[in-house]
Amino acid sequence: MASLSTSLLTAVQSLGAATGALQVTNNNIANANTPGYSRQVAILQEAAPTVDGGISTGNGVVLEGFQSVRDELVQTQIQQETQAQSGANAQLASLQQIQPTFTTSTQDIGTEMSALFSSISGLATDPAGTADGAAVLTAGQNLATAFNTASATLTSQQGGLNTQVTQDVSQINQLTRQIAALNPQIAEMDATGQNGGTVQDQQNQLVLSLSALTSVAVTQTNNGVTLTTGNGAALVVGSQSFTLQTTTGSNGMQQVLDQNGTNITASLTSGDLGGTVQMRDKTIPGLLSQLDTLANQFGTAMNAAQATGFDQSGKAGQNFFNISSTVAGSAGDISMALTNPSQIAASSDGTSGSNGNLANLSAVQTAALPSGQTPGNAYASLVYQVGSLTSNATAESSATTSSLLQLNDQLSSVSGVSIDEESANLITYQTAYEAAARVVSTVQSLFSVVLAMGTVAAE
Amino acid sequence: MRVTNMVPDVQYAMQQSQQALSAALQQVSTGLRVNQPSEDPSAAANMVVSLAESANVDQYTSNVSSVLPQMQTADSAVNGMETSLSSAVTLGISGANGDVSTQDKQEIVSQVESALSSVIALANTSFHGVYIFAGSASNTPPFVAASSAYASTQGSAGNPLSTTTALTAGSITTISDATTGETMTFKAAVGNTVATLSTAIANAVSAGTLSAGVSATIDADGQLAIGTNSSTAGIVVSSNDAALGSMTATAGSQVANAYAYVGNDNVNNVQVGDSMNVASSLSGSRLLTQGANVIGSLNGLITALQSGTSAQIGTATSAVSTALNYISEQRVPLDNTISQLSDQESYLGQETVTLTTQQTSLVGANIADAATNLSQAELANSAVLAAAAKVMPQTLLNYLAPG
Repeated sequence: MASLSTSLLTAVQSLGAATGALQVTNNNIANANTPGYSRQVAILQEAAPTVDGGISTGNGVVLEGFQSVRDELVQTQIQQETQAQSGANAQLASLQQIQPTFTTSTQDIGTEMSALFSSISGLATDPAGTADGAAVLTAGQNLATAFNTASATLTSQQGGLNTQVTQDVSQINQLTRQIAALNPQIAEMDATGQNGGTVQDQQNQLVLSLSALTSVAVTQTNNGVTLTTGNGAALVVGSQSFTLQTTTGSNGMQQVLDQNGTNITASLTSGDLGGTVQMRDKTIPGLLSQLDTLANQFGTAMNAAQATGFDQSGKAGQNFFNISSTVAGSAGDISMALTNPSQIAASSDGTSGSNGNLANLSAVQTAALPSGQTPGNAYASLVYQVGSLTSNATAESSATTSSLLQLNDQLSSVSGVSIDEESANLITYQTAYEAAARVVSTVQSLFSVVLAMGTVAAE
Repeated sequence: MRVTNMVPDVQYAMQQSQQALSAALQQVSTGLRVNQPSEDPSAAANMVVSLAESANVDQYTSNVSSVLPQMQTADSAVNGMETSLSSAVTLGISGANGDVSTQDKQEIVSQVESALSSVIALANTSFHGVYIFAGSASNTPPFVAASSAYASTQGSAGNPLSTTTALTAGSITTISDATTGETMTFKAAVGNTVATLSTAIANAVSAGTLSAGVSATIDADGQLAIGTNSSTAGIVVSSNDAALGSMTATAGSQVANAYAYVGNDNVNNVQVGDSMNVASSLSGSRLLTQGANVIGSLNGLITALQSGTSAQIGTATSAVSTALNYISEQRVPLDNTISQLSDQESYLGQETVTLTTQQTSLVGANIADAATNLSQAELANSAVLAAAAKVMPQTLLNYLAPG
């Protein structure tokens, strides 16, 4: 049967529930801007009623606990999208540094190549003229420098990316260690039926940071989260983390090995590490190889044209450019072989005033190189590729950014803290607390009445 | 959908609109739609090709500007030769008159000689250091006063050259004959000696390249002497053979009115269009010694005036007259080249405009569009900022009474 004491108990329970709910609200407000924080709600439940003589009396409220509100699916999608975004951003950052070298300027390869052919054509009007000859040498030197600069830009970019690989791997190892360390705590809380709460939030945030670095597959198990690389090598299982290692490969580049020593470099495709490896091992070598081919074939063609003529002293033309015997590295080390205007093989008949061979040198501009394209078109196609790679990376970066924004909106619609909502909750729980407190004071006054009843009777 | 925090969306919107604003600003300030290849890869690649064409057209234009005055100089030189020849014809006609005194004849001879030397001076015309009538040997004067005797600088009485003295393989010795107007070029092969050179000279004499009497011998000073056996036949000898040293004319052996052509018959061409070349030099030999021999005809007139009969002077004069006609004919292709160059100059000007238009359409920004885009981007940006300012401070807290 209901009694004043029961009512007092119910009111005190209600005070506790309101305090708990206020604490949750407080915590939510405090963490409104904390990255990775999932809002919590207080789980309030009706206390089991007391049935006495067919009358069921409610026993107030019970604070069952706190629950973080999550959406695992959206969380997973965000991880995947983050991998794609970081990969695209890594490539974009690198391409944006490469692009200026292939942008038309006063000293890009295309401009310097035109300048060389212009100077050769100009030399025809005064084949023995020192000034016109010097102009050809300067233009040749400038073109060689333009090739050297472009090659150096690509190579130094590749070197920078190589350092990035080592840094990424060390960050990945640090993150997997931290993630693994949290697994036992979460497993224990799960086992006792508790909500992972902030520990889970912390782990999710670490997995997100890891996703920004590389592609990981995430599986939830009884022992916490299990992480594997894109090709299935384990990174985190239970409380154990497996480190990735780097070793210098035969090409001088850092290779990434899993815990079994298997080289997984080629399978890294997304995340900062994937984007970096993609740029370092595919994109840049592709561009560099075309640049080397162009420099080598162009230099060879100029040397061949030079060899068909005679210099000012009537000797067969010597090499115009110094080029390496192997194609690889040609753009980096092409240099001017001629040091004096008199060495230009302008003459076709051995007399010093002849300009007959300049036509052969000029013809290099319009003749197809062994690659099948004229030098100008071969360079234009390089410009197209750099432009198109950069433009694709830009498009992918902005697409993933906007899609990530939507996913984050979606996640925050589930897990995010709304200050307005919490303000309303604050009022709700404050009112609830005040009401419960009123009940306590009411019960107290009733007790006083009851006690006074006894006193009056005694008088 | 439950909306909890609008800040990320507002930030994204601001960033997007600021990017658009910056892009629009760049287009207006640079006048270019494509500032880097990624903005339009295919336009950027086409631009590379188009700029190369532009550079070529600019160079062709510059070549035309160099060659045109050169050809005009050549034309006026040939014109000067015509004047000299026609004055020689007039002189010849007056010299053929039997009534002319010996003293007057002598005066006429010196005038014809001066006409000859002015023809030679004109044939040695150079334009900015380029000898126009030297064929491809355009950096040395093509007509050189000939001498009857040349000697090598190597060799001395104490250390004489001999017929077995070895020549340097690859060296070149040339003998240009003023009488035949031709040049013998001897390129030494491995194992060749002075004797081989002598034989080659003898063969050239048999073939008619060199006049009869030209020969090579070792003289009393132990030097290689190349000469004619006549004081009226002249040659010009040059050699880059180290064993011989350079060949120098013996003092006092210069032959009056004899000039040898040391240029060649090749011509230099200058590119003035993608598939258009014009000759920038002419063969002096073709102009003055082949066809009607101009120098020969003037020499013939001088000889006839000095010692010939009126009839012989008449014949010599008509030879000069034939030479004059020949020279006039040679002017025609020269004039054609000049008019071709003038045409090409205006075509290249047109081509520059076409290429510039093409480049503008490839990467240039339409200024009207760009300006409109800029003001739209400005408007959009202010709208985003205004919206952000309205939305961001909105919370329930603003409306709750304090305490």
